[in-house]
Amino acid sequence: MFLVDAAIAGRREVARGMFVLSMAAPEIAASVRSGQFVNLGWSGGPLLRRPFSVYRVDRDRIEVVLKAVGVGTTALLAMKDGDRLSCLGPLGHGFNLRAGPRHVVLVSGGLGVAPMPLAAREAAGLGMRITWVHGARSADELCSESEGDAIVWTTDDGSRGVKGSAVAAAPDADLVLACGPNPMLAAVAARWPDALVAVETYMGCGTGVCLGCAVPRAGGGYDRACKEGPVYRAADVDWTALPSHLAYAANA
Amino acid sequence: MTPDLSVSIGGLALRGPVLAASGTFGYGTEVPLLERGALGGMVSKGIFLRPRAGTPPPRIAETPSGMLNAIGLQGPGVEALVRDYAPQWARWDFPVLVNINGESAVEYGELAARLDGVPGVAGFEINISCPNVEQGGLYFGNDPRAAAAVTEAVRKRTRLPVWVKLTPMVSDIGIIARAVESAGADALCAVNTFVGMSIDLAAFQPRLSFRTGGLSGPAIRPLAVHLAHQAARAVRIPVIGIGGIARAEDALEFLVAGCSAVQVGTATFVNPRAIAEVHDGIAAFLRARGIASLGDLPRYLPRD
Repeated sequence: MFLVDAAIAGRREVARGMFVLSMAAPEIAASVRSGQFVNLGWSGGPLLRRPFSVYRVDRDRIEVVLKAVGVGTTALLAMKDGDRLSCLGPLGHGFNLRAGPRHVVLVSGGLGVAPMPLAAREAAGLGMRITWVHGARSADELCSESEGDAIVWTTDDGSRGVKGSAVAAAPDADLVLACGPNPMLAAVAARWPDALVAVETYMGCGTGVCLGCAVPRAGGGYDRACKEGPVYRAADVDWTALPSHLAYAANA
Repeated sequence: MTPDLSVSIGGLALRGPVLAASGTFGYGTEVPLLERGALGGMVSKGIFLRPRAGTPPPRIAETPSGMLNAIGLQGPGVEALVRDYAPQWARWDFPVLVNINGESAVEYGELAARLDGVPGVAGFEINISCPNVEQGGLYFGNDPRAAAAVTEAVRKRTRLPVWVKLTPMVSDIGIIARAVESAGADALCAVNTFVGMSIDLAAFQPRLSFRTGGLSGPAIRPLAVHLAHQAARAVRIPVIGIGGIARAEDALEFLVAGCSAVQVGTATFVNPRAIAEVHDGIAAFLRARGIASLGDLPRYLPRD
């Protein structure tokens, strides 16, 4: 875990209102694994840091992907190149990919693209064939960046790719990785209990002490998304006990 | 010259006046980025006799300069604490006090008896002020007789230092402070979180599943300074100030207002190095003014 004073080093729009933010964080870039996250704070910002999956690593830079959904993300997107972020990470347990599976399917919904490019690169490095199925409400909300050997787009309104959900359009594979709104992940768990899913929750510290990011376990009790998670075996989470009314769950 | 920051709280010697507050430092095994030489001591996450699952999510909500939490004292129970954590504490060079909780005075007493003499346990912080449990918690904290009864029940079962963490949700904190002082407390911790509520306007319901939560962070600091000051005026035992401390100047406000030490809580969530920065900043403040030791810091503490 590192605490890095990171300068913003670029921004690009990858879907309507969805941006990739790049920052210089050499120690984190060198050590982050797919599915792990960073917790970002900044001078004059809101009290709590904001957690983001690491989207991609480019030499000494890391990238995160975000939309303006609240005061924190709105302020982040108003920042300029060279502005400083306090970047804490890498945090949490990621996908921990290991050699073995021959074919991996990445299933993402909306902002659930966040951990996928890094996962795709790790999977490729382990010799896996990669199919990425990415869904959004409409064509303009589909992420324009993708990685893998085969790409499947899905939209709720049919404006691009397959009409319907990403989960329904995905093929079976040796390994399934998924990230997206909680109802989507619940559907993943129903179809592939052994899928690895990256869960999003409200988070306080990101380091395991505040117990604010509780994830209900299928067997009872709670885990910390920031410590035991954010990646879980899909069937290990009690999806009925995860709030579905939260802003991020509804609009991701 | 390095100012002397050591303090003695009711017989417990601390190398510095800045402690980690309960619930913001786990059992001391997280927060790897903190330079621990700055830690005066640590208060563990609140513990009950038995394991508790805690409240369903959402458990936290950010508010202006603060946060609401309703964790519900999730914890492994006292036996796991004795088995998994106390042996590690016994090797550390700062004292660990255990924040104890119960649904009755008898349960508080049993916890103290179970932990008394366990290597690694340096003392107790009685939590009579948690807003997020159905039984106990706040009830003990806003009735002077109940607060005294809990303090007495613990006092009878241990010779270790007994601190009592007070709730701000009272009309006169001095009455509670005097009641627990008379019941044998060695020090007071003032204050715990304020009860608050925030509404999710997209869902037309509270943002926390528990409906209400405890408000912490810089938002409560002036309220907490006032209450800690009132408590300090009311008693002769030391008061440890808590509430929204993020920088040395914040801690110094509590110290000048009559506190002997402070606890840093929510700030650790934001800045894992907050405790060290507060400690170092107090030293720099004293040095810049030629004050040789914390005991020589001018205080504003007219007695009631």
